[in-house]
Amino acid sequence: GVAVGGEGGGEGKGLSCGLTPNSQPKGRLCFLWQKKSFEVINCVCLCLCEPDRVLVRVQDLTPENADQLIWLRARVHTSRAKGKQCFLVLRQQQFNVQALVAVGDRASKQMVKFAANITKESIVDVEALVRKVEQKIESCSQQDVELHIERIFVISQAEPRLPLQLEDAVRPDGEGEEGMEMWKCLSVCGCVFILPKTTTSQAIFRLQSGVCQLFRETLTKKGFVEIQTPKIISAASEGGANVFTVSYFKTSAYLAQSPQLYKQMCICADFDKVFCVGPVFRAEDSNTHRHLTEFVGLDIEMAFSYHYHEVIDSITDTMVQIFKGLRDNFQTEIQTVNKQYPSEPFKFLEPTLRLEYTEALAMLHEAGVEMGDEDDLSTPNEKLLGRLVKEKYDTDFYVLDKYPLAVRPFYTMPDPNNPKYSNSYDMFMRGEEILSGAQRVHDAQMLTDRAIHHQIDLEKIKAYIDSFRYGAPPHGGGGIGLERVCMLYLGLHNVRQTSMFPRDPKRLTP
Amino acid sequence: MPMYQGNSCTAEHAIQNGEVDPAVKALEARQDEIMKKLYDLKAAVEGLAKTVTTPDADLDLTVSSSLSSQSPSSTTFKGISDLDTLLGKDLGALRDIVINANPAQPPLTLLVLHSVLCQRYRVLSTVHVHSSVTSVPPQLLSCLGPRHADSYARQMFQLGFTLIWKDVPKLQMKFSVQNMCPIEGEANVARFLFKLLSPYPSDPALATLVDSWVDTAFFQLAEGSAKERATVLRALNSALSRNPWLAGPEFSLADIACYCCVLQSGSASSTPTNVQRWIKSCENLGHFSPAKLFLQ
Repeated sequence: GVAVGGEGGGEGKGLSCGLTPNSQPKGRLCFLWQKKSFEVINCVCLCLCEPDRVLVRVQDLTPENADQLIWLRARVHTSRAKGKQCFLVLRQQQFNVQALVAVGDRASKQMVKFAANITKESIVDVEALVRKVEQKIESCSQQDVELHIERIFVISQAEPRLPLQLEDAVRPDGEGEEGMEMWKCLSVCGCVFILPKTTTSQAIFRLQSGVCQLFRETLTKKGFVEIQTPKIISAASEGGANVFTVSYFKTSAYLAQSPQLYKQMCICADFDKVFCVGPVFRAEDSNTHRHLTEFVGLDIEMAFSYHYHEVIDSITDTMVQIFKGLRDNFQTEIQTVNKQYPSEPFKFLEPTLRLEYTEALAMLHEAGVEMGDEDDLSTPNEKLLGRLVKEKYDTDFYVLDKYPLAVRPFYTMPDPNNPKYSNSYDMFMRGEEILSGAQRVHDAQMLTDRAIHHQIDLEKIKAYIDSFRYGAPPHGGGGIGLERVCMLYLGLHNVRQTSMFPRDPKRLTP
Repeated sequence: MPMYQGNSCTAEHAIQNGEVDPAVKALEARQDEIMKKLYDLKAAVEGLAKTVTTPDADLDLTVSSSLSSQSPSSTTFKGISDLDTLLGKDLGALRDIVINANPAQPPLTLLVLHSVLCQRYRVLSTVHVHSSVTSVPPQLLSCLGPRHADSYARQMFQLGFTLIWKDVPKLQMKFSVQNMCPIEGEANVARFLFKLLSPYPSDPALATLVDSWVDTAFFQLAEGSAKERATVLRALNSALSRNPWLAGPEFSLADIACYCCVLQSGSASSTPTNVQRWIKSCENLGHFSPAKLFLQ
């Protein structure tokens, strides 16, 4: 039997969603009718699954489906009553289609009113006839068809007052600061879950998923093994300034700043080539457009045969394969993001351009910037260099090789031909650094000497040095941040746009 | 053949009782010497044969070049050129010439000039494919020859030659972006590269003649209709009846440009007599092997 209960009026007349108790489709458990204070007759269906029903995807609706009776599930993007008709726009991720409820032999006046009162963002099931339209519907992704609704059910209702209007979330922003403002506001009211629904966010995170997938695929093809490294560690690996401390039973531990130590131990254990994808925690109190306290690190480490350039070639080839994969398979997503955030398409060379640090100094010098030859590059200088390289070679991605030894960590292998320089490299996208890597010192004695030179407490890194005492192959590697790479590939300006639940010094939730 | 198995026994020495017969040794030494003289003589004759057909080639160097056929004479380009004078003070970093070329129109003249540059200077050559192009045939990737053994140390080179296959409407060269605007067109880039090897003739009329032939090569021979090409070939024939090279007694950029364009237009076999002779002379100089190799 059907429980057609409820208080007051509204029940029994239940034609508002096109159904009477007698006409319920098989498989439905019951209907609950409630009359709300704001005069919307709410129909909440608790239904068993309909194993035979096929739900059509909005993106697949084309004139080829004309005159077919189909079912689909989507969100109500907008609904607008006009006399005896109600126009709806139904949305699924980044695709939407116009739909129409009109008074006729399949729909009553109450049904039209019901449809018009469905709150925005509610999830609905509709049974409709697909009709070809003469004039293209410019405002929808499916421009050649519209749906004539015969039945409509509300599966999950949204509250009538949304914290943020979806249209506002997809409007192109002004300058960078405004973008930051919107993000701050969203985090305050805790409704960042609205953003991923927008077409732009959908596109960004789908592309990000693509980056991860291409990274794994390319490296696996090259013979790399994926490893998992611990994030709760006993000693701060890189110096100790920027680590989070956690209480660990009776003592304390740290959250890993990078998988560096463990990657290298795997190389010493003869895994030859490894990579890992996992969270990285940096307790840096920087509130910039490109820093997060927690981000996803994609790290690589490999043993090489004769020259550390083999490592550079491997890493750059992986990046190029990622860029090509995105260029060839994610154009829809890239174009969607570009509509809200216009930018220049990402350009690169194959094989990747490699410049030496001395060349960079010469280029900067020519452009009027004076730098000592053992100085590190400041962020503005990196950006300027990126522009100079772009102008000359027309690439947004390049490698800068042979950094001065003085500005690199203690485990970096010095250049055998010139003691001022090192076998280390940085990689840049659109003038911003995305990877810092090097050949590592694989000799325990040399490592000890370098650590002493950098005034590092040898006790704290004893385990690290020990791993090189029993025959470690020469090796090198580097790591990139997933969010930053996506941000720069798409030409966005804030890494929070590419992090679904960003973490920074001021943001801990959701 | 050794008569006994000894420790350090070689087939060249007859060993009797563990001793090498000095007479046999002397005989073998004389044989080696005669063979060497024969090889030298053969090379000299080959060189002379080339000289007879190729005017202006330096006799001594042509001879030595036939001994090692990989290094054709580079003193064909007379004049002293010093990179610091030509390109400005060396700032301690690689001076990199960047050329953006469309893979649909590979620049043969620049490949030829590149190989000559490599003989004169230490050149780091690299080929890249730009993201605006999906893929290029393999010979376009190897057109600058094999990777130099020292290419991991960029600052050891005097000059960089970076060829980028890119979807550009017109060939383009970039060198010093702060001081120079990009140079467009294969003809103009060829002029720039040539001047790194040898100055143009000092006589303005002769210099203009060279330039005029370069323009004729690129605009009428390479891009013109069949009728225009025929006209140019007749003009070439007439000019070459008076002189061994297009701009008089000296080999110049005019010859490089016209040769490459004749080769590329595919009409090399059906040219008039003087032009045939001139084509042979060009090939004897050996600079054009990269072009011929590429077109295969």
